[in-house]
Amino acid sequence: MPLVNFAAREINYKIVYYGCGLCGKTTNIQYIHRKINPDVRGKLVSIATEEERTLYFDFLPLTLGTVRGMKTRFHLYTVPGQSYYNASRRLVLQGCDGVVFVADSQITRLDENVESYLNLWDNLIAQGDDLSRLGFVVQMNKRDLVDVFSLGDLGDLLNHTGSPVLPAAAINGIGVFETLKAVCKQVIAKTS
Amino acid sequence: MTTRRGLIITDQQLESCDQLLWELKGLLNCTFLGLISTAGQPITSASSDYHPETFSLASLTASAFAATRQLATILDEREFTLLFHEGDAVNLHVAQVNDQVLLLITFGRDVPIGQVRLYTQRSIAVLQRILADHSGDDQQLIVDDAYEMSMEREMDQVFRDNGSE
Repeated sequence: MPLVNFAAREINYKIVYYGCGLCGKTTNIQYIHRKINPDVRGKLVSIATEEERTLYFDFLPLTLGTVRGMKTRFHLYTVPGQSYYNASRRLVLQGCDGVVFVADSQITRLDENVESYLNLWDNLIAQGDDLSRLGFVVQMNKRDLVDVFSLGDLGDLLNHTGSPVLPAAAINGIGVFETLKAVCKQVIAKTS
Repeated sequence: MTTRRGLIITDQQLESCDQLLWELKGLLNCTFLGLISTAGQPITSASSDYHPETFSLASLTASAFAATRQLATILDEREFTLLFHEGDAVNLHVAQVNDQVLLLITFGRDVPIGQVRLYTQRSIAVLQRILADHSGDDQQLIVDDAYEMSMEREMDQVFRDNGSE
């Protein structure tokens, strides 16, 4: 649900990076923060444990230029990946306009990916929403590692909305901005 | 294509909200007042010489408030409608205006919390009436095909690796 502030000439969208523990959600946000034009980004806020695992969320606001008289902002969030923190995940999902599902492509992480994907559906349904109404893209992360699923096989399991699928190696920045661009385009398309 | 409804603030609504916030600021002698969405986005604020980082403040406040509401559920309480943090120099008071908007106030130790609560309650009733007016919602049409195309060009320019660390 975008916040459209006509008086301030602003449109604000909320995008959430979702996925299982250690799949690379925070890595995406940190890379964007490091590499995007500093004039565009705000402060990166992270609520993490001492071991640098996300406890509540990471938050990064991006402000784009004025388009048709309106300034557009994207507020990027991550959720904690560990299933133990599901209550926090639900809170972060509230009012979101788009979701990036970050999948860990490694064969050994299949169960965690599927569990997280189903959990995403459950949490959206619990708040009266579903992925077909949101901007949604799937990022197949860790493509630089060996023993990974094919994009097709993983897509069959983690993409039931025919949404864009993007390969990535977020640790090296590969696919990070492509993913961001794809989800932002989806989000705008869903509200136009 | 499905269109999802969001929170739309019109010129008239913002003007009325700003007017009320500044009046409230004068009455309470507080440092900062802000309206934020429950999704964590700033809407407007009234502040003369205290300017916190509003994006982080809005995001963290909305999250803390959402967590507080969840705590109420766990404790079988209908809801906690406000959040209060007491600091050495600054206190933070957050109250729910409606299901999409929160009012946050920061104030010094010289301002009695009872006074903040009383005036906040009265202001919320007025804010609810202001925000309940949806007569300007047709302005949502600004997000059209032309906007979409222009945004694509803007994103192609901005969302890229600029190489610096």
